[in-house]
Amino acid sequence: MSAVVENHDHHDDHHGPKKGIMRWLTTTNHKDIGTLYLWFSFAAFLLGGAFAMGIRAELFEPGLQLMDPIRYNQLVTMHGLIMIFGGVMPAFVGLANWLIPLQIGAPDMAMPRMNNLSFWLLPTAFGILLSTAFMEGGMPGFGWTFYAPLSTNYPNVAYFVFAIHIMGASSIMGSINVVVTIMNMRAPGMTLMKMPLFVWSWLITAYLLIAVMPVLAGAVTMLLMDAYFGTSFFDAAGGGDPVLFQHVFWFFGHPEVYIMILPAFGITSHIISTFSRKPLFGHSSMVYAMVSIAVLSFVVWAHHMFTVGMPLVAELFFMWATMLIAIPTGVKVFNWCATIFKGSITYETPMLFAIAFVVLFTIGGFSGLMLAITPADFQYHDTYFVVAHFHYVLVPGAVFSIMAAVYYWLPKWTGNMYDEKMGKLHFWLSFIGVNITFFPQHFVGLAGMPRRYADYALQFAEWNAVSSVGAFLFGLSQLLFLYIVVKTVFAGKKATPQVWDGADGLEWTVDSPAPYHTFDVPPKING
Amino acid sequence: MAKGPLHNKIFVSLVGAVAFMFLFSFMLVPLYNVFCEVTGLNGKIYGPADFFKKKNETYERQVNIRFLSTVNGSAPVTFYPTETNIEVMTDKVSKTSYVATNNTNKRLTLSIVPSVSPGLAAENIKKIQCFCFTEQTLEPYETQEWPIRFYVDSELTDNVNNVYLSYTLFEKEREEAIVASHEH
Repeated sequence: MSAVVENHDHHDDHHGPKKGIMRWLTTTNHKDIGTLYLWFSFAAFLLGGAFAMGIRAELFEPGLQLMDPIRYNQLVTMHGLIMIFGGVMPAFVGLANWLIPLQIGAPDMAMPRMNNLSFWLLPTAFGILLSTAFMEGGMPGFGWTFYAPLSTNYPNVAYFVFAIHIMGASSIMGSINVVVTIMNMRAPGMTLMKMPLFVWSWLITAYLLIAVMPVLAGAVTMLLMDAYFGTSFFDAAGGGDPVLFQHVFWFFGHPEVYIMILPAFGITSHIISTFSRKPLFGHSSMVYAMVSIAVLSFVVWAHHMFTVGMPLVAELFFMWATMLIAIPTGVKVFNWCATIFKGSITYETPMLFAIAFVVLFTIGGFSGLMLAITPADFQYHDTYFVVAHFHYVLVPGAVFSIMAAVYYWLPKWTGNMYDEKMGKLHFWLSFIGVNITFFPQHFVGLAGMPRRYADYALQFAEWNAVSSVGAFLFGLSQLLFLYIVVKTVFAGKKATPQVWDGADGLEWTVDSPAPYHTFDVPPKING
Repeated sequence: MAKGPLHNKIFVSLVGAVAFMFLFSFMLVPLYNVFCEVTGLNGKIYGPADFFKKKNETYERQVNIRFLSTVNGSAPVTFYPTETNIEVMTDKVSKTSYVATNNTNKRLTLSIVPSVSPGLAAENIKKIQCFCFTEQTLEPYETQEWPIRFYVDSELTDNVNNVYLSYTLFEKEREEAIVASHEH
């Protein structure tokens, strides 16, 4: 067999993508990089989900069945790290890459080569983190919050630290790229207040990332120095303070929580407006609400640590500051409801996910308000009530919004319509699965079941079994999602450029699938 | 675009913001300590107190002091207070002690970290002598009695009648070689 000699004619002026693997390794095209981010995040979502299946299998009944507690802690830790840094954040960055240039009428991101680097750092970081699975000492098992001095005494902590550093560098580069693109490359006539809400939400998110990812880098650097260079930032034996670690970590950690939800607000606003066939109610109040949520996120961090022994004044301050966030969030939920009100609504899959987002995210928000009440938090702290709360805002919150976004923009990306029946089936399986999984965790949490243990008291057995069944249902139905997406990439009814009759925005003015290069000449924005 | 990213004002200021926030995370360490010191939060005490400090509008009363001891992790030391509970008059110097025993055949270097509860009383507990000011060394199987001299100043808030003094003992270093092996 002889190799076929390729005889390409390189004289044409049209620069399409390169062929083969080099297209993806060297690409500087925002659409290619967006696709890479989205597939990476899907892979991380499935891997982190597999870890979650392991956790729920162990918790299916009391006692230790499948793994020892150390292994269990490793699964919990890796589930958290993979879902946050590999699943949700890269998914939003992928959406930003695909959509921001299309929505502001720019030909590409402002710094395409840095864009390539910031993607390829991610597999590197996760390669380092996952390599600990094959080492003596194993994967990190100190929780995604890596409280010192537990983490400083853990084997392989240096791999964890370097992985976090690289992920952080990737996020910071991505964010700088987003800000510079939005500030410099908007089409003529697109003022800041005319920007679509997804772009707005990402502009704010990018500023948050730029502010707090370096603090995370600082925290892991101090951790590394404590573990290997004999410093005592967090080690009381040398005059350090473990509570200091919690302050530094949550100073990063709370804005991080909003980093994972603000882009979801943007996505939901687009979808609800499209399928209600009405312009969004209160565009500028949405922007102000997101800005105030972002600003407030810097002054609420200690509500994660009400029980460390803070004085009353601090407890009260952080309680009120936290509750204040309910106001801008309430404005957003009100605006979504007002947009739906008297709209001519149809329930395509993205709309179903968006409505579920509004309802279930609000449930998560309410349990957050309960947790913000300091005296009540002493009871809820480190119970499954907290687990239920943050999974409600992250799974049917952030993850549902990502799924909604994928269904909504998939025809634009692939040129094919997804199978509506299959999409709806996926929605209902996910919706039912998520609620069966996480709603019972409110009950066991209020009854006092603590987090982070591989075993539990007999009284919690029934609800944990229910929760595990829900988790398996939710986990398996994501394979259906994979199938739907792959099928749409290769086949399906051809999509029109407009795709959805109620959709509004520059991305719907280009062909479906969006050509490799768009907006070489900036579009003109009227009005 | 002819100009590189370094000519882009927004890019440069964002990179500056990243550098600033990284340094800021390290600034949090001294800021945190200063904040705790100024406000007396977290039960932190710094150094021996000024015994001759003038006071105004204070009155003497009795305060109950309780002593707690904790050994961190699995440090091979027995560590306990000789008295768990004493009544003291404000502004009068009292003396008590802790006892520590090294349960190994190696020399141990220890550091003992104090904490006062309620935290707001921390600034009113004035220690004149304390084993927590310096590192302590215990020879193999040695038992030492460590004295503390302190007083409670009368500026202590009225509603505090019980103060807990808690000491946590950390093993800092363990000598590698076995000390004093007998040769005959």
